[in-house]
Amino acid sequence: MRPPSPRRLLRTTTGLRGRLIITVVSVTVLGATGAAWAGVQRSATSLIEINQEHRTEDLVSRVTRAAPSVLYPPDADALDQLRGEIGENSLVVHQDAASGEGVFATGTALVPAQLREAVRAQTAGEHGHVLSQRVEIDGTPWLVIGAPVVVTEPDGARTPSGIEVYSAHDLTPVRDQVDALVRGAATTTAATLPLAVLLALLASRSVLRPVARLRETAQHLARGELDARVEPTGVDELAQLTRTINEMAASLQESINSIAALEEGSRRFAADVSHELRTPLTTLTAAVEVLHDVLSRAEAPGVSDEAEARESAHLAVVETRRLVELVEDIMEIARFDAGTARLRWERTDLVKVISACVRHRGWTRDVVISSPAGEDDREVVADRRRVDVVVANLVGNALAHGGAPVRVDVTATGEGVTVRVTDSGPGIPEDALPHVFSRFYKADTSRSRTTGSGLGLAIARENALLHDGAISAANHPDGGAAFTLWLPRRPTRATCHLRDEEQDP
Amino acid sequence: MRHRPFATAWAGLALIALTSCGPQLSTVEEGPSAPTGIAAGTTLYFLDDDGRLTAQHRETGRLGTVSEAVSLLLTGPGGSGLRTGIEPTTVTRNQVTVNGELMSVRVPVSSAEVSAEGIDQIVCTAFASRVQSGGPDRTRVAIEFTDRPEAPRSCPALG
Repeated sequence: MRPPSPRRLLRTTTGLRGRLIITVVSVTVLGATGAAWAGVQRSATSLIEINQEHRTEDLVSRVTRAAPSVLYPPDADALDQLRGEIGENSLVVHQDAASGEGVFATGTALVPAQLREAVRAQTAGEHGHVLSQRVEIDGTPWLVIGAPVVVTEPDGARTPSGIEVYSAHDLTPVRDQVDALVRGAATTTAATLPLAVLLALLASRSVLRPVARLRETAQHLARGELDARVEPTGVDELAQLTRTINEMAASLQESINSIAALEEGSRRFAADVSHELRTPLTTLTAAVEVLHDVLSRAEAPGVSDEAEARESAHLAVVETRRLVELVEDIMEIARFDAGTARLRWERTDLVKVISACVRHRGWTRDVVISSPAGEDDREVVADRRRVDVVVANLVGNALAHGGAPVRVDVTATGEGVTVRVTDSGPGIPEDALPHVFSRFYKADTSRSRTTGSGLGLAIARENALLHDGAISAANHPDGGAAFTLWLPRRPTRATCHLRDEEQDP
Repeated sequence: MRHRPFATAWAGLALIALTSCGPQLSTVEEGPSAPTGIAAGTTLYFLDDDGRLTAQHRETGRLGTVSEAVSLLLTGPGGSGLRTGIEPTTVTRNQVTVNGELMSVRVPVSSAEVSAEGIDQIVCTAFASRVQSGGPDRTRVAIEFTDRPEAPRSCPALG
């Protein structure tokens, strides 16, 4: 196995995983060490205290037990007797005389000066106490206990006797016990280390797995796979992040889709426009060529030539008009798409507008306008010119594709006015119904050459929508196509304009 | 910079570990009361001419036990001019048992051989000896005569 490269090692220790592991291990080991240290400290202290307490009480009881049989004032034998009762490593001092054994065999020399002074300074009385001190003698810890022996009167009064007793105890066994405690604690702490590493690895995995999944998803999104998602698990911050990324991906997908749809629409529109422009231009070209031929043979005009020329000129005029109409419609559609269409809001009586529209276009003979009697309120707030365009398109369409007579019914409700245009033709094929308002859609495929631009119904629909209205196509049960336009009384977007108008004197 | 707190903690831990092993050297520490029980002689209680309790210091060279003090008391005041409320007896052997703050003294005389003052003499002598050898000063003494026991009591001379 190849040793890990320095860069990889650096990434492992400074990355999210490395930091997590270092933190968890540090916290665990610090905690374990702290707890172990506190426990050892407490145990060691009480071990030493108990030992010390036991030793001092033992000295007191030994001296007290032996004292009544000791000669006072003491001679050398009496000091030896008392020292013998105290046990090993003991010393009894009275004035200049001393009796020592063990570490104190040489007398008072090894008694810690501080302890000796404190024992002698005790004004015995009520306050005579046993004193102790832990010292080091020849590199070994010792507990040295010293006390004055006091004389108690029958009435309880205590006076110093001048005798001092000392005893020393080797603390090596206690130290060994404390060392064992420390070793045990250290072992326990060391045992937590692999456990902590394991714990940290598990924790880092549980944290980093969702992160890896998120990264994977982000890579998919970056490659353009917009339907990539992550299943959020849990309720933590990572789950929130996951949900946010999902939402982001969804909104990204949505906007890209709508951009694509728009692009597709405009591409098709451009193609349709080219196609629609080519057809009249082809006809125009042919007509103009005929005219050219006729004019080049002008020296010997014949009857047939003249008639041909007249027909071609007529055709050229018709097609030119149609081209102008087509271009105007395309410009109108372009204004709708750009959102720059401006409306001029006015109170409009629909029946009046429809009548004027039919009259101006000379359709009076073929169109019947009906409105239920007693319904005077057919007034809406609308742009009269656009309503005129919509009605002209609907009626013109009915006359061109359906057939006379055409009925226009105007009915009013509280919220709006409905205009229904019904023709007497064969109706619209069912499969064509959903598409009649599409741009350049031609229901009658056999008749590719029509008088209209193919944009009339699309423009009507856009105008209805500008009025917050609706337009729909259906077949009448009695035959014939029925187009229904509904306009609200007061479109939302017209309200402020109208108010301005009303306030104007 | 980021790992500075950890470094501090580790350093502190190392310092603690270094300074915490084994029994520490110390200054002088104060423990229980100093031992006692040393004395030049025994205190006995006799009666003066007016029948009042009087302490007599008997120079024995050492304090001795309670039992020894009671034995000395039973042997009488000798030629000191003091009186005793206990009939003379040749047998001075007695038995002392201590149970906490209660001390029983079994004497080789009957209650008839001891006057009321004599009972106080025994009680005070035993009590004084007990206190001098480090016993509690609330000790009560019960005398057991050969015929009957006496209720526990304290020494009237020593409160």
